[in-house]
Amino acid sequence: MSWAGFKKSVNRAGTTLLQKTGQIERTVDREFADEEAKYRIFEKECQALQKDSKAYWDAMKAMTSAQSRIAETLETFYGAADRSSEGAMAGHAYKRSVDDLDTTFSRELDVPFRTTISEPLGKMCAYYPVINEHITKRNKKLLDYDSARSKLRKLIDKPSEDPTKLPRAQQEHDECKEMFDMLNDQLIAELPQLLDLRVPYFDPSFEAMIRMQAKFAEEGYEKLSGVQRYFADNVRDDYAAGQLDAQVEGILQEMRELSICGGN
Amino acid sequence: MKGIGKALARTPFAVTSKIGMSKKSSDPEFDDYHRHFVSLEKAAEALIKDTKTYTDAVMTLFMSGANFAGHFAVIFQPIAGEYDLIGKHPDAAHTIRNITKYETALQEMKELITPEVELIETRILGPAKELQAVMKTIRKTITKREHKLTDYDRFNNSLTKLRDKKDKSLSDEKNLFKLEQDFEIATNEYEYINNALKQDFPRFMMLVTQFIDPLFDSFFYMQLNIYYLLLEKMNSFADECKYDISNTPGAQIVQDYESKRTDAWSLIENLGIVKRIISVSRLVQQSRAQGLGRQPSASTTASTSGLKAVTPPARSVSSASSYKGPPPPTSSLSQAAPPPPYSAGSSVGSATSAAAAKRAPPPPPPLKPKPKPTPQVKYVVALYDFAAQTDGDLSFNAGDRIELVEKTESAEDWWTGRLNGAQGVFPGNYVQET
Repeated sequence: MSWAGFKKSVNRAGTTLLQKTGQIERTVDREFADEEAKYRIFEKECQALQKDSKAYWDAMKAMTSAQSRIAETLETFYGAADRSSEGAMAGHAYKRSVDDLDTTFSRELDVPFRTTISEPLGKMCAYYPVINEHITKRNKKLLDYDSARSKLRKLIDKPSEDPTKLPRAQQEHDECKEMFDMLNDQLIAELPQLLDLRVPYFDPSFEAMIRMQAKFAEEGYEKLSGVQRYFADNVRDDYAAGQLDAQVEGILQEMRELSICGGN
Repeated sequence: MKGIGKALARTPFAVTSKIGMSKKSSDPEFDDYHRHFVSLEKAAEALIKDTKTYTDAVMTLFMSGANFAGHFAVIFQPIAGEYDLIGKHPDAAHTIRNITKYETALQEMKELITPEVELIETRILGPAKELQAVMKTIRKTITKREHKLTDYDRFNNSLTKLRDKKDKSLSDEKNLFKLEQDFEIATNEYEYINNALKQDFPRFMMLVTQFIDPLFDSFFYMQLNIYYLLLEKMNSFADECKYDISNTPGAQIVQDYESKRTDAWSLIENLGIVKRIISVSRLVQQSRAQGLGRQPSASTTASTSGLKAVTPPARSVSSASSYKGPPPPTSSLSQAAPPPPYSAGSSVGSATSAAAAKRAPPPPPPLKPKPKPTPQVKYVVALYDFAAQTDGDLSFNAGDRIELVEKTESAEDWWTGRLNGAQGVFPGNYVQET
């Protein structure tokens, strides 16, 4: 921190203290407080949105790539038996379709997601630090203004021996007020504008999101359901009736009874 | 204790066989099965891991989907004290109306998915873990076989060595007899366990295939079901709320998005508060410079200050720095501006007030002079939306190119223009000359 910056922060710390103890009057600006509160909500929501959209996207990717890996593992399992069995054929078809899904997904949805969701959100979220800087600056200048004003008042109430003091205090007060007003007015004018613009800004993203979600579901469903052709006719009903689970359990039991499993 | 003793007895052999000093026997048939078994072990582990990744991803997908919808809904609802978003943004009305439905739809989806994921956990992950447990016991048997094989080789080696020895001492003879006995026991034990493994392995491999068939089928249907659920919910939402979700290539989505993107982007970019502060004192100087530049326009400082882009003395602005001076607050603008005709400004129609809130356009000038014809054809570009307030006004949207029929000295005046075949008057400070 520079020396000037240090002096400023010491002075401001003093002002805050005096304000807390009631020595210096604090400017209460309801208009700004309201706008800031709204802005804070917006900031928080947007940041949460950014986080969730990323999680959503990553989960989609994780889903398809996990399916791809599962398909690969299945091939290993089927490698144990002859590759032309019905199960192996279905497994193979499954692998093809999930691989297809995985590539379609990244090819078709990667760019749209980035353009319609991540970029607008990222851009908006990148503004916050700058806006917050403006707010911090405004708060600091407010302290300066409060302190200058109280100095001026004291001088007016209790005129000093030195006749140059009053004009100097007056000038300082005016300067502080000008700085503060400029920052404050800008924030009060533009925060509502920013907040208002959020609607047209994010509006197109909504439809894009819906379309991408629908596309993901549709592609997934269509590609996967094609695999059913390779299944025996009764599989679907067996699954519905819980037969498959029983089969799995039965085979596990048989395995446990093998002598090499200590079942003797 | 017995285990430690055995391990100690086996160590020397493990070392010597490693460095090639003693012979190690191998059984190709068993090795083949063993290789296969190892690959199955790995596969089972991978299956468990990936299934977990999959279920986690599904859970996250639906969780964050619902959260996303929730936060999006907050953004598209009035925040503390705001009102009538639809009136202000008629373009976004569709979104604003349906956002809550979307939120509910995704919330429902999230709840529907939980049982599906549980199903995968109990019906797929559970059995897969049990398979892994079975494999672990087999692995134990294999380790036992390794030990027995070590014993067998160990005794075998010692025996051969002792037999090959030329002059055997008395103790050697004794040892030989003992070794022969040990060797026989080791052989029997090894043979027994090796044969058991060789006999059971093919059976086990077959069972694994039989096991994976129904498991895969179930898993497949569960996955299909998840997609189906997602699809069905999305479809019913889209149906209800009139969204076109026919499957289009991703590029189409981008294109549609781009075409719907409004000037909100550039408007936000132009806000003063999104630009870094370099130095406050410099900003003050700039705003002073602008203030001075505006002084000549006398009492209307407040209203002209809103027209930064339109006011002529732009030289002082642009020369000062690239930083765009802060536009004055809307509130002070409406207070200080002279009462406009038709009581425009704040209380016209919702559309104009929306435009006013959105871009803080300057109030229309106070007087309407009579139009005078001018020969040359000139165009101006609209900076703000303008809706006709009476007959004879020319409505336009920001960005429209208007053919200028007649203009006056001052931008604070009503100019005449032609757009889309219609002719009418409009406030000169709403446009920019090209």
